[in-house]
Amino acid sequence: MSIIKTCNIKYSYDGNRVVLKNISTEFETGKIYAILGPSGCGKTTLLSLLGGLDSPSDGQVLFQGEDIEKKGLAWHRKNNVAFIFQSYNLIDYMTPAENVALASKLPPLPILERLGLTKEEAKRNVLKLSGGQQQRVAIARALASDASVILADEPTGNLDEDTAVEITNILKECAHQMNKCVIIATHSNDLAKQADTALRLKKGELFSEKK
Amino acid sequence: MSFMKRTVLYCIRQRFKTVILFLALTLIATFMLTGIAVRDASKRVAADVQTAIGGKIELNLYAEGHMGNGQQNQWGTVYEYNDDFITQEIVDAIGKVDGVVDYNTEDAAAYYGAGVDFKYLPASFGLSYTPYGESSAYTATLSSEKCAKFQSGEYKLVDGRHITRDDKYTCLISKELADYNGLSVGNKIKMYSLDSDSISEFEIVGIFDGTEGTSGNALTVDEIPANCGFIDCAAMFDLFADELNGYQQLTIYVEDPVNVRNVYDKISALPELNAKTLKLSINTDEYDVISTPLTSLQKLVNTIIIIISVVSIVILTLLLTIRIRGRKKEIGILLSIGKSKANIILQIFAEVFVVALISFAASIPFSFSATKKAEAFLASRVAAGTAGFNVQIDAAYLLPLYMIGIMLIAVSVIASSWTIVRSTPKDILTKMS
Repeated sequence: MSIIKTCNIKYSYDGNRVVLKNISTEFETGKIYAILGPSGCGKTTLLSLLGGLDSPSDGQVLFQGEDIEKKGLAWHRKNNVAFIFQSYNLIDYMTPAENVALASKLPPLPILERLGLTKEEAKRNVLKLSGGQQQRVAIARALASDASVILADEPTGNLDEDTAVEITNILKECAHQMNKCVIIATHSNDLAKQADTALRLKKGELFSEKK
Repeated sequence: MSFMKRTVLYCIRQRFKTVILFLALTLIATFMLTGIAVRDASKRVAADVQTAIGGKIELNLYAEGHMGNGQQNQWGTVYEYNDDFITQEIVDAIGKVDGVVDYNTEDAAAYYGAGVDFKYLPASFGLSYTPYGESSAYTATLSSEKCAKFQSGEYKLVDGRHITRDDKYTCLISKELADYNGLSVGNKIKMYSLDSDSISEFEIVGIFDGTEGTSGNALTVDEIPANCGFIDCAAMFDLFADELNGYQQLTIYVEDPVNVRNVYDKISALPELNAKTLKLSINTDEYDVISTPLTSLQKLVNTIIIIISVVSIVILTLLLTIRIRGRKKEIGILLSIGKSKANIILQIFAEVFVVALISFAASIPFSFSATKKAEAFLASRVAAGTAGFNVQIDAAYLLPLYMIGIMLIAVSVIASSWTIVRSTPKDILTKMS
């Protein structure tokens, strides 16, 4: 059953440069999706529209059948979706535990420990952690929010090969074991191969990729 | 995590930025507090001056066109006022007007008396145009305390009391004259008046000084201030009942000079003054001389407070704009996890407010030293001549300081947060990456 759906969404910059053309697709929980495409093809824009960071020029984004604009984009971001960014996007004057606590009232330590951070590491400043550890904190924050949809923009882009594999496995675990809908925008064919469904953005249109 | 917890974390973890904000706010608060204290001090002094001086209304004879055709005598043509005088009936009616605290008349050289049983300090010419020698001048008054020389401080009562409205045949003499004749308060002196051709006895009710060293080379005894004194009006009316039709002048004292116009209107409307050839006028000269620099000071301080407020808003806005520019990533992250723009702006406001709470309190000791310097400067320049110009910091000033401060912070936060309000979360995150 689809949790989030796009209905003929269009997006253009300043009404001229069209980035997305009539995209209609749907995403289900318990699955991991990869959106492939070259830089500037609109992957991040599509994620932004799904996550309510921006509004489409035309068309609708539906969450559980309801237009996300109805309750407000901030409400949608707070309750329905969680973001994971390539550059981790953690608040640098906070500890990992505090960063996770930003999105949830649940105690952050169990989630961080589940993702491989020790108690000591959870209380350090985030800038003192490695890239992989910082991305784990970002994933922990996404999981702590209890959102059904996780939107990941190049989550392994800044990581070495081994760490990228570890992060990919965590994301797969989120989808398959925690029944989340994980949508990843990536250049990486390796990461796309791990996804249940791979989609390719080409000239503003979305195509299903044969596996 | 609530915005308050984020606020506390930011203030504690970003110590350097917090200290800079603290210093800026302390400086602003010090200027503001000093300004409020100076404005309050000038208001207080102005109020004291108002109370001390009071307001005055003058009632005079309207002589123009009422001086008759003149009469010829051995000295030439003599003109004499021939219309309405200020009668006792008018004076009594004025005394009952609400807002009038006192009244007085001061008729200089109204009575000339020669010493029957005492002597005047001698002048260059020893004229003897009366059987008792030369006469000296006396001012007739209802209240000697209100007379110009006592009000200005030139004369001071050193013994006894002043002449009041209830007195009859009383006088004040100078200490020099008293010492010259061995007179004291309670003694009675006899004077001969050439005008009434009679001898009258006056009781000395008070002795004043301030005449010392002013005799100079006087030609006649009445040119020596020490020989001139004060007598009550009742004696004058008794001595010259046939000639005196009333007072020539009346000074009416009003409690509050700000209210003088109302009292003036009430007196003007008295039926006793209706169609009388008398001139009523407001006299605020004395108050104006003292209050003008204080009013100017209040205006100046108000302007300075406005300038400080505007400059503070500009400084705070610049400071916060720089802070917010450096926090775009944080703002983007908060927006991406569903925090509303209002929640983020509230956090920025709370961060400044928390620091302001401490810095405004910390500005008090700095303001103490600033007010002392301001007091010394203003007391010597602007408010010279006004006693008790005391600039001090009062705990009550903290309320307006915090109110103005919160308003300044709110304006600055809104102005500096404009970029957040204007942008979509995607814009912020795109620029951030």
